[in-house]
Amino acid sequence: MSVSPGLETKYVSRAALLGPDYRGVNFELLCELGDEVKSGAAVMRDLRRPEIRFSAPVSGRISRIERGARRKLISLQIDVDDSLAVAEFQPPASNDSVSIRNFMLESGAWSSLRTRPFGNIPDPDGKPAAVFVTALDAEPLAPDTRTIIDTYLQEFRAAVNALTGISDAPLYVCHAPDHALVFEDSSRIRCVTFNGGYSVSLPGVHINTLCPIGLGGGEVWHIGYQDVIALGHLLLHGKPWLQRVISLGGNAVRNSRSLAVYPGSAIGELLANEVDDGPSRILAGSSIYGRQLATGSAYLAAGQRQVTVLGASASDLAGTTASTNNAVIPSETLEKLILPGIFPVPFMRALQLGDAERARELGALELVEEDVMPLSRACVSHSDYAILLRDVLDQLEGAR
Amino acid sequence: MNFLLPNSGNGRQRILQLQLLALLPVSIAALVNTGYQYLVAVAQNSALSTDDFRSRLARGLGASHESLGLFDMLAAGFAHLVPILALALLVGGFWERIIAERRQSPMEPGFMLVALLFTLLLPGAAAFGHVVFGMSFAMLFGRGIFGGDGKTFLSPALLGIAIVQVSFPGVADQHPLWSGLTGYAGSDAIAVYHRGGEAALSAIDIDLWSAFIGSTPGTMGTTSILAVLLGAALLLIERLIAWRLLIAQIIGLFVFATLFNLLGTGPGASAMPAYWHLLLGSFAFGAVFLACDPVASACTNPGRWIQGFLIAALVVLIRVANPTHPDAVIPALLLASILAPLIDHLVIAWNIRGRARRHV
Repeated sequence: MSVSPGLETKYVSRAALLGPDYRGVNFELLCELGDEVKSGAAVMRDLRRPEIRFSAPVSGRISRIERGARRKLISLQIDVDDSLAVAEFQPPASNDSVSIRNFMLESGAWSSLRTRPFGNIPDPDGKPAAVFVTALDAEPLAPDTRTIIDTYLQEFRAAVNALTGISDAPLYVCHAPDHALVFEDSSRIRCVTFNGGYSVSLPGVHINTLCPIGLGGGEVWHIGYQDVIALGHLLLHGKPWLQRVISLGGNAVRNSRSLAVYPGSAIGELLANEVDDGPSRILAGSSIYGRQLATGSAYLAAGQRQVTVLGASASDLAGTTASTNNAVIPSETLEKLILPGIFPVPFMRALQLGDAERARELGALELVEEDVMPLSRACVSHSDYAILLRDVLDQLEGAR
Repeated sequence: MNFLLPNSGNGRQRILQLQLLALLPVSIAALVNTGYQYLVAVAQNSALSTDDFRSRLARGLGASHESLGLFDMLAAGFAHLVPILALALLVGGFWERIIAERRQSPMEPGFMLVALLFTLLLPGAAAFGHVVFGMSFAMLFGRGIFGGDGKTFLSPALLGIAIVQVSFPGVADQHPLWSGLTGYAGSDAIAVYHRGGEAALSAIDIDLWSAFIGSTPGTMGTTSILAVLLGAALLLIERLIAWRLLIAQIIGLFVFATLFNLLGTGPGASAMPAYWHLLLGSFAFGAVFLACDPVASACTNPGRWIQGFLIAALVVLIRVANPTHPDAVIPALLLASILAPLIDHLVIAWNIRGRARRHV
């Protein structure tokens, strides 16, 4: 198994595929409890779009299928067994749209593409107005994108070249200014430099800057750099990339560092012997854009690049006193926390009112939950803008 | 930025605490200067009646115009500021209680900020009846009917002081108590400039320095630019007020004042240089604590620039064109604040059109 030089690996005994990572998908299981599955082999597919498959993150035995309300799949948990083989795939012979798409669908790599608006998995025959590759990570304590991409440069290039084939749309590779990426066939690829604060690595920022979305039905696709490397690994070696690089950070973590781990690793196991005693909050993602996890059985989400553990005082954990007053008080802080080009206060008020039309006009279609996470933390109204935004997006999706 | 106050869990409370803290330097300056002005007036004008409640309280606290030390100033200032503040708090708390009971919601402490701002905008000699009237108006029509903290459309204190000024003309810019001051004929320093330019100001001992530190006659909290600057620094560091709005007002004041200097004829306020516009009257106080009320000002960045320039233009224009409103800050802020939602509406409409053009 290839390991990034200089990166510590931490392999856990259980990993999972998480249902909530794939919005709007009704899963059809292709395996049963207790089955042995190979890493990369399809274990589920979308009931509505059966071409879209979801592959096992690790090889092992399916140990638990957790379902929630209305039997919605929450997680498919696999006990890791390294002795099992991994699934193998035949790389596509040509670089045309049909064969690339078929390869991605068959190998499960398609499920790492996301659309904006709404953040769904794109339809297998969808036509994006643009494809975005997020090749930078500016969030606090993020893993070093540059090292990771440079280590897997061949895979990265192969995948980016393949991605140019999936549609006629421009392919934007968004990267940091000090990390120039060179591609052989640069005519189809547009490298764009993003520079600035913590928000510049959000796909929402790139899309908002380069290709804002209206209600005309247009959509753009985006994919994270690690998923691109995983696709490149499949293309070049015919086997799935069995790791993701995450960073472990936060003031309650004893030794902040980057780790190579299995995709979908159990976070509880990853954090064993890593965290200071005492109450803490675990965030999936960075301290700014991360989402708070319930303690216990959490797993790395699709595309997650960080686990942040923050020491918490008792008052943090108790939550804030409920107030009947949900007014937004504008402040300079809010201006910094929203994507550039969006007016935070009118946008937050539109979300609070559930005014989908106004929220759309102000830019809601380019956003998903992660983009508004910091607003919820900063706003005195204690509104959860992630939930409010999703309500608005659901309304807009229904009307589309 | 958590170094000044511990995070009390509820962000709204923390904002209120910081806003009150930002008014602390102004309040101290108000105590000292109000006492100083009163004692000087008593010393200079033996005919001035000192038989009212406040004078008796000042005497009872040991303030004497003969020694004129810091303690005397503080005691005399206390006798003027604290009764008004206490009354404003009482009235504010009373209405807050009534509103909270009617709404069956908890009382919100924001009325304290309203009471303090309202008090600081009054002269030390303000009649208690005016305080009750203005504070009641602020609480009911500035705050209560809109739903309380964070939902107001105008700064309640601004509305309260405006209604007092309109209903009892001269209450905030005439100081009967201090009319005995040599050359200070019962109006504010800008009116003095109107009549006689800088010479008239220096005749009543107003120079740049005294105007900056605030040892000049005026409404209680608004004279000291130094104290306002300290408060503004805190609010800016804590990111509670929009720097664009503040900067726009100051730039606008310099631009429009200079414009009138170039166009203007005659001595009046049109010849007043921009720095006097900034130093005299309640512009600085209003710009920081009233105009930058986060809830009652424009909430988009372009809107903030526009509103700031609008305030500055109105202040200079009213000062120059309308001698009955020598200070002009309150009506200008009121107008600009009423226009803020319209400004935001236009800015948002423009932004939406811009986005729509680029849509895929």
